[in-house]
Amino acid sequence: MSKELIRLQNLCMEFDGERILDDINLYFNDHEFLTLLGPSGCGKSTTLRIIGGFLTPTSGKVLFDGKEINDVPPYQRQVNTVFQRYALFPHLDVYDNIAFGLKVAKLPKDEIDRRVTEMLEIVSLKGYENRNVNSLSGGQQQRVAIARALVNQPKVLLLDEPLAALDLRLRKDMQNELKRIQQAMGITFIYVTHDQEEALSMSDTVVVMDKGRIQQIGRPEDIYNEPKNAFVADFIGESNILDGVMLEDYRVKFFGRVFECVDKGFAPGEAVDVVIRPEDIDIVPPPQGHLIGVVTSVTFKGLNYDIIVDFRGFKWLIQTTDFHGVGTTIGIRLNPEDIHIMHKSEYSGLFGDYSSYSAEYDELTEDAEDEEE
Amino acid sequence: MKKNNSVLLSTPYILWMIVFTLIPLGVVGYYALTDPATGEFTWGNLMNLKMYLPVLWQSILYSLVSACICLLLGYPVAYYIAHTGPVAQKLLYMLVMLPMCMSFLLRTLAWVGLLQDTGIINNLLSALGLPRLQMIRTPGAVILGMVYNYLPYMILPLYSTIVKIDGRLIEAAEDLGCNSVQVFSKVILPLSVPGILSGMTMVFVPAVSTFYISQKLGGTDTVLIGDVIERQFKQGNNPNLGAALSLVLMLLVFVCTGIMNRFGGDEEVIV
Repeated sequence: MSKELIRLQNLCMEFDGERILDDINLYFNDHEFLTLLGPSGCGKSTTLRIIGGFLTPTSGKVLFDGKEINDVPPYQRQVNTVFQRYALFPHLDVYDNIAFGLKVAKLPKDEIDRRVTEMLEIVSLKGYENRNVNSLSGGQQQRVAIARALVNQPKVLLLDEPLAALDLRLRKDMQNELKRIQQAMGITFIYVTHDQEEALSMSDTVVVMDKGRIQQIGRPEDIYNEPKNAFVADFIGESNILDGVMLEDYRVKFFGRVFECVDKGFAPGEAVDVVIRPEDIDIVPPPQGHLIGVVTSVTFKGLNYDIIVDFRGFKWLIQTTDFHGVGTTIGIRLNPEDIHIMHKSEYSGLFGDYSSYSAEYDELTEDAEDEEE
Repeated sequence: MKKNNSVLLSTPYILWMIVFTLIPLGVVGYYALTDPATGEFTWGNLMNLKMYLPVLWQSILYSLVSACICLLLGYPVAYYIAHTGPVAQKLLYMLVMLPMCMSFLLRTLAWVGLLQDTGIINNLLSALGLPRLQMIRTPGAVILGMVYNYLPYMILPLYSTIVKIDGRLIEAAEDLGCNSVQVFSKVILPLSVPGILSGMTMVFVPAVSTFYISQKLGGTDTVLIGDVIERQFKQGNNPNLGAALSLVLMLLVFVCTGIMNRFGGDEEVIV
């Protein structure tokens, strides 16, 4: 496939004795859209700032085209950054903001003009050349920031939560726009976000991070369908995570019942985490169900209902398009491909229980607000 | 209700302004436009100002030179304070303010003690067997006095502007290819302009009308417009001419600050 462009080797970063990055090993291919995804404080922005040259790692190497660039200052790197909250120059107009890098590089005036004009067209800001950047809307400022970075034709574009400050509608539009620009210009995007949906919809590769460590690397589908541990399963989408025991290949026991599954390669009798996605569960009349439970809460979500079902004291989240009122007894069936088995990890038991459903939602909202800071 | 309260509370100051600023200003205007002997209306006082043009020019020149020296000395200091740790920032800020807590007259007189022919510096020089220097009664001494006295007025607005510059803009500039010199010239300096203009104004305005510094540290050839005005009231006994001079000086200050504010664009300028 495409060739490797950047490699992070045993990268560690410490601030005041606190370990922010712990032995990160990662490579980035040419033309790839790679997303670093994780909650705030997971080290994703630190990783980006190390690649940009704004931080020097405590140990480990940053390789660009096979050459170590640990000590190369930002202005000599072939990468450009789209900063969180844009960091546009307030004393320059739109044109001069975009032309900034080219003027520093002392390019001929007509070439600067040609490239800036071209860039303005790509980000749909034609006619805004002489506007004050402070008079632009958030989405427009965002596009200026992208144009200002891309006009330098970097090999790699680093984007640090570029859409975090935009409202939902605009964010969706910009996601498509970014993907389009990345494909049109054929350069590598390294994108940092805490928004799992954003990561899944735009990326070729998603790197899930937590506590300064990489939890999983993979294509969006793989990350979603084959999460490696309870953290990933919970962070990417919703998951019911249950304690189970692997009896043998393709056979797992949980809730006192043996289920067929599609996973293998576990030790016989190994304790495992079982992941069941809320949208994969089929609701059937109780007599036909593998398990029988009672609905304890219903939330209308527009596209579906989120219902919480109590199975012997353990509460599951199930997404269904049919209404089942509180108190209804329902049965569920699980197909082998709906059951995903993971090894136990430090995250086991921390996620995937919906006993305190509403509380968890509040927490999620708070997290999102923190991120806005 | 709230609005009424604020009117009420600001009344004392408004009255004060009327009695002690606006009315005196009217008196100055009246004197400036009346004949000293007859008390009749005349343009004569203003016509006579021609002979003071060189002094006026000299005042502007000295003040501008002082303001520029203050800028050159003050900018690095302000930049350093703005980029140091929070505790050091407070300490250095107080250090800059410290001279302002002492009497202006005392500070200027102290320089006389240092610079005069039999002053500390010259005594030290002759003790070392070196020739004495003519320092006092020179333009340099006057400018030194201005710079020394007004430097804090340059540093403080510069500091408050520089400290507000977003660090990410500097990173953005580095990201776009600027080395540290270019970061300064293309981002930090342009964004410091409001502070530079405030500082220049705050040094220039008091410097252009000073008389004490030039009287104590200057000689006969460093007479400034402030001295001339003072002389009209105290020795020359021509308050009408003095009033005319004051009026012109005031207009000049207005014009200067106006020009500086215009250069500042829509940025906030502290005057």
